[in-house]
Amino acid sequence: MLSRAPLDIPRLIAERRPGYSLAAPFYRAREIFDLDLEVIFGRHWIFAGVEAELPEPGDYTRLDIGHLSIVIVRGDDGAVRAFHNVCRHRGARLVTQEAGCVGKLVCPYHQWTYELTGELIHASHMGEDFDPSCHGLKPVHLRSIGGLIFVCMAAEAPADIDDLAAVLEPRLAPFDLRNAKVAKQVDLVEEGNWKLTMENNRECYHCAGNHPELGQSFNKYAVGFVPDADDHAGQAEAAAYEAQVTAQVADWEARGFPSVAVEHLSGRATGFRTERIVLDGAGESQTLDTKAACRKLLGGLTDAKLGGLHLWTQPNSWHHFMGDHAVTFCAIPLDPEHTLVRTRWLVHKDAVEGVDYDLDRLTEVWNATNAQDAALVELAQQGVRSPAYEPGPYSPLTEGLVDQFATWYVERLRAHLG
Amino acid sequence: MSVSASAAPAWWDPDTDDLLICRAVLTETEDVKTFVFEAPGGRRFAYAPGQFANFEVECGGGIETRSYTLASTPTRPDRVAITVKRIPGGIVSNHLHDRLKPGDALKAQLPLGDFSTARHPAAKYLFLAAGVGATPLMSMLRAEDDLASGADIVFVNVARRMEDLVFRRELETIAARNRAVRLAHVVTGEGAEPWAGHRGRPTRAMIEAIAPDFRDREVFVCGPDGFMAAVRGVLAEAGFDMGRHHEESFTFGADASAETPTVPEDPAEKTWRVTFTRSGKVVLCDGTTPILTAARKAGVVLPSSCTKGLCGTCKSKKLDGEVEMKHAGGIRPREIEAGQVLLCCSRPRSDVTIER
Ligand SMILES: Cc1cc2nc3c(=O)[nH]c(=O)nc-3n(C[C@H](O)[C@H](O)[C@H](O)COP(=O)(O)OP(=O)(O)OC[C@H]3O[C@@H](n4cnc5c(N)ncnc54)[C@H](O)[C@@H]3O)c2cc1C
Ligand code: FES
Ligand code: FES
Ligand SMILES: [Fe+2]
Repeated sequence: MLSRAPLDIPRLIAERRPGYSLAAPFYRAREIFDLDLEVIFGRHWIFAGVEAELPEPGDYTRLDIGHLSIVIVRGDDGAVRAFHNVCRHRGARLVTQEAGCVGKLVCPYHQWTYELTGELIHASHMGEDFDPSCHGLKPVHLRSIGGLIFVCMAAEAPADIDDLAAVLEPRLAPFDLRNAKVAKQVDLVEEGNWKLTMENNRECYHCAGNHPELGQSFNKYAVGFVPDADDHAGQAEAAAYEAQVTAQVADWEARGFPSVAVEHLSGRATGFRTERIVLDGAGESQTLDTKAACRKLLGGLTDAKLGGLHLWTQPNSWHHFMGDHAVTFCAIPLDPEHTLVRTRWLVHKDAVEGVDYDLDRLTEVWNATNAQDAALVELAQQGVRSPAYEPGPYSPLTEGLVDQFATWYVERLRAHLG
Repeated sequence: MSVSASAAPAWWDPDTDDLLICRAVLTETEDVKTFVFEAPGGRRFAYAPGQFANFEVECGGGIETRSYTLASTPTRPDRVAITVKRIPGGIVSNHLHDRLKPGDALKAQLPLGDFSTARHPAAKYLFLAAGVGATPLMSMLRAEDDLASGADIVFVNVARRMEDLVFRRELETIAARNRAVRLAHVVTGEGAEPWAGHRGRPTRAMIEAIAPDFRDREVFVCGPDGFMAAVRGVLAEAGFDMGRHHEESFTFGADASAETPTVPEDPAEKTWRVTFTRSGKVVLCDGTTPILTAARKAGVVLPSSCTKGLCGTCKSKKLDGEVEMKHAGGIRPREIEAGQVLLCCSRPRSDVTIER
């Protein structure tokens, strides 16, 4: 490429048209990708995984986001902590595997040894004057909300995570996700910028045409889909679904399952939305037959017909919690045009594969849906590479929540660029 | 073989003819063999799965009688089989292993015993077998499987090492094909074949993990007395209805504690051989010296750093032998179970083989 003027990012931000998709550089430019890592992923609460991945003391997972690498580890006291994956001696990467189990965190280079609380407890040949207490691992903020792990790498983490916790803890409590197990984890690399991954996730405009498997249980009217004024059949369908939702939500709420939508997607640092969604058919699970895929329900639940508690968090996650299982999705930017989508299926920790659940049946709907979404994101990425691309209008009827995502994103950049 | 449809099958009757002819000797594991028998005249065998018979064996100038489970299944009535473990110093088991060959005859008496699914019919069973105690449970499993009874069976098969699991391949085959059958191997010691599954003595947690619904099952247990006592304890403590618990003892109440205990030498005071498989080096190490120290003195260089059991750098796989390890958190219980040791803080208690 010929040399060109540096991107005027503040101008691009200032010129963003509300209600429209972002300008091409937001999906392609290295400078903006780096800014995204620094600002969006470096200074906000990121969904990093689930406690169920770390059932025992010494269990750890590694999470890399750009040049940042952190290790999340369960200590001997049972608490989960996160640290920068950087040795305090000469900076070598401490943990090299994606996940595992350790006694202590030991640097492979010169074997500096850290307690699982981050404290340096062994460093040979460092002389009399060396003070190990000044060389503990650098901590990363970590909050576990109902068993979902959120981390923030900034020195000061946004305080409004408390609002997310306040809304989510009671909603997640019945699922007892800390006593679940990860039945399956699948990593998928989407050929698109992470924001295209997220935008695609925030609408169901594309569902009817692309997601036959998910469509068995997931009603397109569930998340921000409003039929056209002259679509009478659609109006009737939407009204029928709405009536079902009103009755069902009232019933759930009365039985102590908070269900009504809580939406704080923009206008704050920690954006989120949650709602218990009525599923179609038997209404139990996002499976092909809409019935529970796992015989042993999560937590101490006895009723499988709890719909799907959905949760979105900005900037990088979406989740569905059902009576029999939960699915969590974590998007990690890899480079300007590649995004890792990590999907985890959780079931009760005592559920036995092949007895209580069949893994294929448990995972088939979202495996299919993820593949379909990856193909759509790839198409979108290919499109934004063309000089003919210009920001297009979000549907006011079905893409209001995509606009919320783009709005949150632009707000956050603005807030940090001043 | 031709079978006449009109003729009623002739049944073997030990009251009139107690002879059985050995037809085959099959090797199950290092110290377990199966002996297959035919009745004279092709007569067929009728018994309940899980029953045993008393066998009379001429050896050492006298006649010895021992009980053996008919490990075969009555659903295949043309033959019976017993599966016998060689007991060190045992008269009959060694005689069978070393002498009995196809064509030889043996006397057997009427099948006996109530340890049988036929006597305790249920929709769901939990079978717990340890060592050669698998024989009656195998007979019952074969019968249920042959009959396609649909009975839901969880079969827990326990042995010291993977290599010692009796009927392992056959169990795996049945479990793979019969959806009502689920198999769990449990290993209590260390063998050549690695095992990442259940380990150790039966505990409540283990039984709950293998069969969370064990309370709904009819339970059959057979194995060494200690094993059966442990299972009994677990079930009783879990509030299991002991009327649905059945066990078979191979010792006929023989008092194990009556055996004269030999006074063992203190293994800490002896000098042991430590073999390193990759380098092929052998180092002598007394019971008070850490293996890492002895190795270093002998010029064997091994990775290490803290030498305090903290950093895990010296972690190595122990292939054989016993050590006493006093670590400081550099190794997890799971790793220890998987046979890992920290050499800097492990002292030998027997000859030891280390993968290094
Ligand atoms: C109902 C019943 C069913 C049985 N089914 C089987 C079967 O299917 N397969 C099988 O292999 N055995 C089975 N046995 C055990 C069998 O009857 C013999 O006890 C066993 O083969 C040992 O006989 P032996 O002559 O070799 O040893 P013995 O000469 O009788 O004994 C030698 C030494 O070994 C000890 N000893 C005896 N038996 C055992 C043992 N089981 N474990 C450890 N030490 C022992 C004795 O205390 C003695 O010190 C069964 C026993 C009973 C009561
Ligand atoms: S860089 Fe980690 S111990 Fe030297
Ligand atoms: S050398 Fe550190 S644990 Fe052995
Ligand atoms: Fe989609």
